[in-house]
Amino acid sequence: MLDAPVTGKRQVARGMFVIGMRAPEIASAVRAGQFVNLGWSGGPLLRRPFSVYRAEGEHIEVVLKAVGGGTGQMLALEVGDRLSCLGPLGRGFEFGGGAREAVLVSGGLGVAPMLLAARDARAAGMKVTWVHGARTAAELCAEKDGDAVIWATDDGSQGTPGTAVAAAPDADVVIACGPNRMLAAAAERWPEAQVAVETYMGCGTGVCLGCAVPLKRGGYDRACKEGPVYRAADVDWGALPSHLPYAVVA
Amino acid sequence: MTADMSVAIGSMKLRGPVLAASGTFGYGTEVPLLERRALGAMVSKGIFLRPREGTAPPRIAETPSGMLNAIGLQGPGADALVRDYAPQWAEWDFPVLVNINGESASEYAEVTSRLDGVPGVAGFEINISCPNVEQGGMFFGNDPRAAAAVTEVVRKRTKLPVWVKLTPMVSDIGVIARAVESAGADALCAINTFVGMSIDLNAYRPRLSFRTGGLSGPAIRPLAVHLAHQAARSVRIPVIGIGGIARAEDALEFLVAGCTAVQVGTATFINPKAIAEVHDGIASFLEARAFKSLADLPRYLPRD
Repeated sequence: MLDAPVTGKRQVARGMFVIGMRAPEIASAVRAGQFVNLGWSGGPLLRRPFSVYRAEGEHIEVVLKAVGGGTGQMLALEVGDRLSCLGPLGRGFEFGGGAREAVLVSGGLGVAPMLLAARDARAAGMKVTWVHGARTAAELCAEKDGDAVIWATDDGSQGTPGTAVAAAPDADVVIACGPNRMLAAAAERWPEAQVAVETYMGCGTGVCLGCAVPLKRGGYDRACKEGPVYRAADVDWGALPSHLPYAVVA
Repeated sequence: MTADMSVAIGSMKLRGPVLAASGTFGYGTEVPLLERRALGAMVSKGIFLRPREGTAPPRIAETPSGMLNAIGLQGPGADALVRDYAPQWAEWDFPVLVNINGESASEYAEVTSRLDGVPGVAGFEINISCPNVEQGGMFFGNDPRAAAAVTEVVRKRTKLPVWVKLTPMVSDIGVIARAVESAGADALCAINTFVGMSIDLNAYRPRLSFRTGGLSGPAIRPLAVHLAHQAARSVRIPVIGIGGIARAEDALEFLVAGCTAVQVGTATFINPKAIAEVHDGIASFLEARAFKSLADLPRYLPRD
């Protein structure tokens, strides 16, 4: 747990922002798909989970949309204001196995873990295809990192009309993040895909059991410990609500 | 000068008055050592005889200054607890009590027998107050006869300390408190969560899949201080105060109101160092006012 001063903020799509903070221990340790649980003075009772979007030097970044009171407060933070930062938490994506190519498929705020995923995939010697979708062109995250880039919009205003899942090519390694409905579609097409799920979350450290993810084999485990990254075929998608008003994914 | 922070809960001596509340500290193994140094004791996540899946998500919802939870006592069952966790507890320098649950009095008795004598299990906290199970739990906690009956069967199965965690969802907590005291409880824990409900205005249905959940956090603190105080003035056995404690001042309110110790719960979710900070803050308070020990803290406890 550390106090991370806010170092900057920028807009990357309509209603979508990136907030940077200085968090050296987290920046050096974080892997793609892991998250931080953020709290701030005067904020809501519970921390809010965010995938780490970028990590460079002593800094990390997270992506958010102002959808609730909590994220609205976060967006009002100024440079120098402090975020209490717990992390890195959870189990991230795996890029072992010697595959040559990774496809990163994201919808909306699901872009959150993808810059780090591109970094880690390249470090494992893979070529990266970046696929990003949103409802409209204005809602696409403008930042990208891929050897090939594919855009998709529901209304056809940019790139391939339709969903990011439909627009993506096949590959040995598929990484997906977005609304749980989108991940359910990804699971149909790529049972072996690695997906980062969204859940409500309490502690983020494995004790409260609030972030239950229903599993195909029965029972639940914790998005914050065993997740947030799952093998797509392992999740019982019909029993996992898609709801997050505030976060990215955790 | 360092104030003496030790407390006695019946025959059990604790190095400090700040305990980890059941369900908010897992089995203790998830939490880094640093955060355990100030623990007086830990109460483990509630356990049934057999494994339980728990409730479907969403399981938690934040509310003003509080949170609703309906976890449904997800857990691996008594055998797994004995195999996987108790051996670790046996090595620790603070006692671990197990929060025990059952759908019937006989199941409480069976769980007790299974755990009694297992190295690492220092005592029991009988959960007759969980609002998030269909059977058992709170059903026993709001009927003095049922509460006493469960306490009695557990008492018969063990010589270890038996604490009883009370529900606030009663018209007179003193009646329940006296009933379980008479049935042989060594201490009372007051209180468990309040039953609450919150509605999702987009879905036109409750935010929790279980419909209702247990409300915890600072939102319930004044209610909890009152109920812990009412329990304390109704009985002679120690009362452990619980409800929305996040800072030393919160804990001190319970202690002055007649509690012997406190449990910190939801605050741990937000601040993994909460227990250590509450412990240190109480010590500083005592030292600043030149009390040599926690026992010297003035109490407001007129007897009924």
